[in-house]
Amino acid sequence: MNKNNKNPFKIPEGYFDSFEDKLMDKLSKTESAIPKDNAFKIPDNYFESFNDALKVKQNTEAKVIPLFSNKKIFAVAASIAAIAIIALNYNWKNTEEISFNDLANTDIETYFENNDFDLSSYEIAEVLPVTYTEFSDFLSSPIESDNLLDYLNENVSDFDELNIEDNE
Amino acid sequence: MIEEETLVLDLKSKSKQAQAFEVLVNTYKERLYWQIRSIVLNHDDADDVLQNTFIKVYKNIDGFKGDSKLFSWMYRIATNEALNFIKQRAKLQGVSDIDYQERLVSNLEADVYFEGDEIQLQLQKAIATLPEKQKLVFNMKYFQELKYEEISKILDTSVGGLKASYHLAVKKIEQYLKED
Repeated sequence: MNKNNKNPFKIPEGYFDSFEDKLMDKLSKTESAIPKDNAFKIPDNYFESFNDALKVKQNTEAKVIPLFSNKKIFAVAASIAAIAIIALNYNWKNTEEISFNDLANTDIETYFENNDFDLSSYEIAEVLPVTYTEFSDFLSSPIESDNLLDYLNENVSDFDELNIEDNE
Repeated sequence: MIEEETLVLDLKSKSKQAQAFEVLVNTYKERLYWQIRSIVLNHDDADDVLQNTFIKVYKNIDGFKGDSKLFSWMYRIATNEALNFIKQRAKLQGVSDIDYQERLVSNLEADVYFEGDEIQLQLQKAIATLPEKQKLVFNMKYFQELKYEEISKILDTSVGGLKASYHLAVKKIEQYLKED
């Protein structure tokens, strides 16, 4: 024992080396209250027949569509007609590029609804401009100033904490 | 058992692809099935997601760079497919993911492929209350008995973080079972 070490308490040799294993052992014992049997069953021969079912699905996905079916001819004719109509009515002098502002709000909303972005409120808040944003933009009904004062009276003990600057 | 590197090379070669894919499916179908089933709970949905997982693996094998193990890569695809499946179904039914998962658990009572007793049903209800990450870690560690190192590669989380998540999940489940 090092003379400079003033700690009078000793530990068994290798205590910290085996600590994690002992902890995990203890944890696994506490799990005994949780049933471990697999209650989920599968149909007989499911895994044996899986490969065939998968092949069927793969083939369905890669199914070849005949090049000149009636539907295809109608579709091609309709496309040519549509292109001709659009070309005749298109204003060729208009060289403006499509910008974000040309998107309809409903299209943007639909896009956000149908796509998962996994963004947290904080991440959204980081990119949201605050300069021209008012509280009322987020509220469906406006807050009455009386209610606001009542709330502050009841919930704020020290008004200095609010860091309100008197700009008037 | 075929070496993983050889299998990946065969999967990318046009002439050996079909046979290699058969080996891949046979090697991993059961393990991936149980991972998916633990998330979607119902057999038919698990079957659907498992098939989609293999089709996705087949279509994307050229993009597999070998940075991770083939097993971890496929497990990750299976997990994401299953989670997305749940999210899409919840959206279709106009309910939140949590509400949809509660429905899944209550459907287990009438499921012919669920032979659990009351305590096992309670356990599934308890698992459904856990946050997504804890739920995944608990199922992978407790039922599938994967090592922390393996789970760490699949979920891209540190081993320490996983141990903490698992410990929390066990505590919450025990608490739920005691209270009920």
